Amino acid sequence: MGANFEIKYLMNKFLTKKLSIISFIFIPIIFLWHPGWLGFLGVQPYWPLFWLLPWAMINGSINGLVFGLFLGLILDSLTLDNNFSQIPGLIFCGFFFGRIKSHSDILVGHFRYGLICSFGSLLCSTLYLAQILFSNFLDGNFFMFIPGVKNILAEVFLTGLFAPFICSQLLRMFKFSRRKLW
Amino acid sequence: MLNIRRISSSRWWHKKKIWIFLGIFLFLVFVRISKGSLYKDFFYFISRPFWPGQFQKEVILKSINQESLLKINLLNKDNIRLREILSLQQSSNNDNISAAVISRKTGGWWRQIILNKGSNDGVEIGSTVTGPGGLLGRVNNTSFFTSSVTLLTSPESKLGVWIDRSQINGLLVGSGDDHPSLILYSKEADIKVGDFVSSSPASSLLPPNIPIGIVKSIDETSQSKKTAKILLLAKPHLIDWVQILKLNI
Repeated sequence: MGANFEIKYLMNKFLTKKLSIISFIFIPIIFLWHPGWLGFLGVQPYWPLFWLLPWAMINGSINGLVFGLFLGLILDSLTLDNNFSQIPGLIFCGFFFGRIKSHSDILVGHFRYGLICSFGSLLCSTLYLAQILFSNFLDGNFFMFIPGVKNILAEVFLTGLFAPFICSQLLRMFKFSRRKLW
Repeated sequence: MLNIRRISSSRWWHKKKIWIFLGIFLFLVFVRISKGSLYKDFFYFISRPFWPGQFQKEVILKSINQESLLKINLLNKDNIRLREILSLQQSSNNDNISAAVISRKTGGWWRQIILNKGSNDGVEIGSTVTGPGGLLGRVNNTSFFTSSVTLLTSPESKLGVWIDRSQINGLLVGSGDDHPSLILYSKEADIKVGDFVSSSPASSLLPPNIPIGIVKSIDETSQSKKTAKILLLAKPHLIDWVQILKLNI
């Protein structure tokens, strides 16, 4: 009985402590799952930013940058485009989201998350489109520009729409798990 | 002379019956002028369940289907025989693997599907994936249990195809939307909207004669080449089951 209780206690402690890491694992899964009913014009919100924003806001720029890199590596491994990478955008976003923390310690209003995430997704997708355009430019093709802009707009809109709901919840969860640590 | 004074001032237009009569009359005039179109349309709706063609249509469609199936089989046999004579590439139907789509990214930047059959089931990198309608893409990556397919719409996809009618080879390039672009490196290439595009017999990546799509629109603004948008026959955002053709080239 005692051992059982201890295991339960340890499990609970582990879960609350590692909540951020556990939620990190879910990003690639939701990225692969790609639920069509959440999409707009066939485009999905940029899921990794929802996790990266609270993480970088709590842990700072360097942590944000490192985890941006990790996220980029994982997501690049899931997509088949070998020539294009999501790493630059995510690194920059991680760093930028961390700076927000250092400038203002007060809790950012829900709707500002939407704005910040929209900006982050605009940055990431523009960097991604730039890579595609550059690679196609070398081949002499310019087909990607208009669909690319459409993708960016849809992604920015959706990311901004979902960010207030998801980011504020995740931020609360991460803060909660940190408080338990101390 | 008696002065007859009216008790009530009743005029003909105060009578309801006259107005009803007038209404009906005008309606009939309208019917006459419109040559009974109202009647005909009304009849169209009420007679709909009793139209003669419905059952007959099904029977005809069924027999047309059977006829085309027979024709396809005959042509297939012919095709295989001729290909053997000319010693061209073969596409065999014996080594197909059926797989279900377990993850699907058909919009946005990444256009790929993940299938539930991997290297464990004998899927190889480079295998062709087809769905109802025609070609979907090629296997780009396999894990033990899954395989990832680059769709034709992906910006990374570049395949050699040809136009059946004029037998011109072209390059099918994914452009990140639902309609890949076909590039023909000749300004005089004979291409029309509605032309049928299939995999090229000259391609070293695909088995020959897999249906791909139909030419949707043509852009002739470039000086040196023609580009066309292709409407794909297989719809990756709807398909749940696909066939993986083993590489046999």
